[in-house]
Amino acid sequence: MASPSQPARSALVAKLMRPVARPMAATYRWVDERLGISDLTHQLLYEAVPRRGAWAYSLGSATLIIIVLQIVTGMFLLWTYVPSTTEAWESLNYIEHHDEFAAIVRGMHLWGAYVLLIIIGLHMIRTFVSGSYKKPRELNWIVGVLLFLMVLGLGITGAMLPWDQAAYWTAAVVTHIVDYIPFFGSWLQEILRGGPQMGPETLTRFFAIHIWLLPALLVPLIGLHLILLRRHGEHGSWVNYDGVESETEEVRAERMATAEYPYPAVPSDPGYAVPVDIDDFFPSQVFKDATVSFVLVLLVFIMAVVVGAPLERAANPAALNYVPTPEWFFLPLDQLLVQFPQAWMIPVGVFVLPGIGTTLLILVPFLDRSPEREPWRRPEVMVPALFAALFLIFEALLAVNRLFNL
Amino acid sequence: MSFASVIAAASPHLVRVPISTGVASALVAVLMLAHIQFAAFQQGGYIILAVTDFLGWKRNDERQTRFSKHLVTALGATFAFGSTLAIFAVLILFLGLWSQFFVELARIMFWPFVVEGIAFVGEIICLYTLYSQWDKLGRVRPLRAGLELMLFINASIQMLAIDVVASYMLTPRPSNSLALNLLNPTEIPLEMHRFVGNIAFAGAIIALAGGIRIIFAKAPKSRAYADWIGHYGLIYAIGFTLAQPLIGWEYAKEIQLHAYASWYSMMLGGLSVAFLFQVFLLGAIFTVGIFYLWRRVKLGGFRSPALAVCTALSFASWLLIATPSSLAWSYEDVVGANANVPIWQGGLLIPWGEMIPFKLVALITFTGVALVAVTVYLRHVTKGEMRWGDAGRAQGAALITVGIAVSLIMALMGYIREDSRAPFLITNKVLINQQQNFKSPSSAGPAMTGTNNVGIVMPWDSGP
Repeated sequence: MASPSQPARSALVAKLMRPVARPMAATYRWVDERLGISDLTHQLLYEAVPRRGAWAYSLGSATLIIIVLQIVTGMFLLWTYVPSTTEAWESLNYIEHHDEFAAIVRGMHLWGAYVLLIIIGLHMIRTFVSGSYKKPRELNWIVGVLLFLMVLGLGITGAMLPWDQAAYWTAAVVTHIVDYIPFFGSWLQEILRGGPQMGPETLTRFFAIHIWLLPALLVPLIGLHLILLRRHGEHGSWVNYDGVESETEEVRAERMATAEYPYPAVPSDPGYAVPVDIDDFFPSQVFKDATVSFVLVLLVFIMAVVVGAPLERAANPAALNYVPTPEWFFLPLDQLLVQFPQAWMIPVGVFVLPGIGTTLLILVPFLDRSPEREPWRRPEVMVPALFAALFLIFEALLAVNRLFNL
Repeated sequence: MSFASVIAAASPHLVRVPISTGVASALVAVLMLAHIQFAAFQQGGYIILAVTDFLGWKRNDERQTRFSKHLVTALGATFAFGSTLAIFAVLILFLGLWSQFFVELARIMFWPFVVEGIAFVGEIICLYTLYSQWDKLGRVRPLRAGLELMLFINASIQMLAIDVVASYMLTPRPSNSLALNLLNPTEIPLEMHRFVGNIAFAGAIIALAGGIRIIFAKAPKSRAYADWIGHYGLIYAIGFTLAQPLIGWEYAKEIQLHAYASWYSMMLGGLSVAFLFQVFLLGAIFTVGIFYLWRRVKLGGFRSPALAVCTALSFASWLLIATPSSLAWSYEDVVGANANVPIWQGGLLIPWGEMIPFKLVALITFTGVALVAVTVYLRHVTKGEMRWGDAGRAQGAALITVGIAVSLIMALMGYIREDSRAPFLITNKVLINQQQNFKSPSSAGPAMTGTNNVGIVMPWDSGP
């Protein structure tokens, strides 16, 4: 209950603020009339979302926030970083030893990338398990997979930029693997290296791919992902569609007719166009999204301060006894490389198998076309997916084991 | 003064157990092979218990909840016996018969043993709380699910600790550093091999129990329950065994790289016949299991050409994997073709022994075929095409066969792995025949010197 003096205090504050508030309000009205900010804000925030499992749906927003964080920290790093083989390492070494703020920013960029990959992975698992890729959301799933692949590309190209030992040998291994692509591998290798051998142009090209090419593809795809999400609405998970299989046509029609924007999703399997129970995006879902995103950004910051980003010795092409270790998210691929070591088998291990896996991942919505959403009633996708997930985990663990015992 | 010298010096004052090395080895082997059956059932059973009870709770499935209660009863009973065997093994056999080995093991693996002991207590608390208060905990399902999860975690920690010790015995790092030896070359492959193997083993034992009940059940209700148990256990057995070819391959590869003598003994030497029988059993598990899936679907009135093809392919792979010959007719021919080097050096010598493409093809086929078979079968189940209670004696016999084969494979694997280190108990560190006659290691192997990892200075750690 408000204290008796509160209205008086509020009036006093309003009176004091009037000289500032009036021009501010007038300015906002002027801008709003021309840009339509109020309508846009209303459109952005007014949306129905499924009620149950809402914390799990915050992973998508968290992914977006971390990507923004990566862009911002990346911009800050560009103020100091010099993309040349003679100065890249020097510039980062300077950051690490003479610029505490930039060192933290660099740490945030690194840990942001790690957290981003984990969150995207969880987001994809959530989407997969809940069957959210089913019609009409097939294209959004495909865009999501492409975004994931691009983030992987950003991860590996970013790892080459410090031009320390780890970066140099990562670039050497990656461009060497490319050579095994049948028919045009050598040509592609030369494009990436900027010549037949690793050299100054190699770093410049990976730098360009990292800060221009991939982001230029990534940002529009994110936009498309969001547009498609708004068009069809958040599917949620099977728990939001309890009882839809047994409901009568009348009940279903009533639900469709009274559905709030952006539902009903069309075309859709019968019963799955509108969640049974919905909530408002603002403030309910926004609060959850903001909480999860805040915790993750805080985690990134803490890791950046406590652990930071490593910088090995400057690249030395003559150090032939150096053992390159891949980033953790490429450990399964690295292990596959070892399991298919002969020249004719390498393409099988590093291109054919991952290629088949990626193709199947993209085609999931077209392979699993039943209306069923519950994971334990979709064994045709859940069993192979479980096997694939275990395979990746095992491969990563085996790679750790191998690298540790070299 | 080295540790071994202390033992040797003290040996005249020690009362020797009047048992020959051979008898001591046999006693330890029998006890440990029995123990491993119980331990594997416990480890795998805890995961199946947690998953089954959770599904029963979330899906309001009375059958899964009922089975969970039966499973926890079985786990409680077998834990009592299995852990008694383990304690007996440590207190009487290891300390009494193989004291040098055990002291050396405890010296370097002190902390893993401590962790295992703590996790063992945690396991007892969780298991017996569930065992004795099952019905009361049913009123607080999140608590029961939490206890099951804790039980699984405690057991997993225990397994991790004992796998560190077991893998160290096969591939110790040439160092007394605990950190290095924790992640010795075969630790992670062994951990994965056992994790997956334990679930498959527990599933197979459940299937075996289901098979026996199918044969002896009189009432239709009882037969329906037994039929469901059999199918449920078999899905775990086949579903997890299908990962074993890949993991087993990697495990064998690490042994080949880091303990070549053991690998040679297993794959090309005296133990190769046992290993051949091992892969024969693996083929039996897959073929009989997939055959069961096919026939079980047919009993429901549905024809499944995919499962029929899977059964045929599995049978063909079974023949291939158990074939003792090679593409070349003899090992000499393989050498002549310069194929007797590992596959990663351009040869054909793969971790699964001499000849190799046959077995490689069979392993890949088993994995693929089992994956397809389990998926297709579960598709039929989730469509509601099964009538539980239809299974007859043939299905019961198939389930029992899989159970026995998995039990045999577990025992045989233990025998092969432990025997492959001969004459060592700890590769290049402790000999079997040191245990009874206190031979100086100087004549038998490298001296055991260096500091322990416990941080306690022991008499043998300081110099003379």
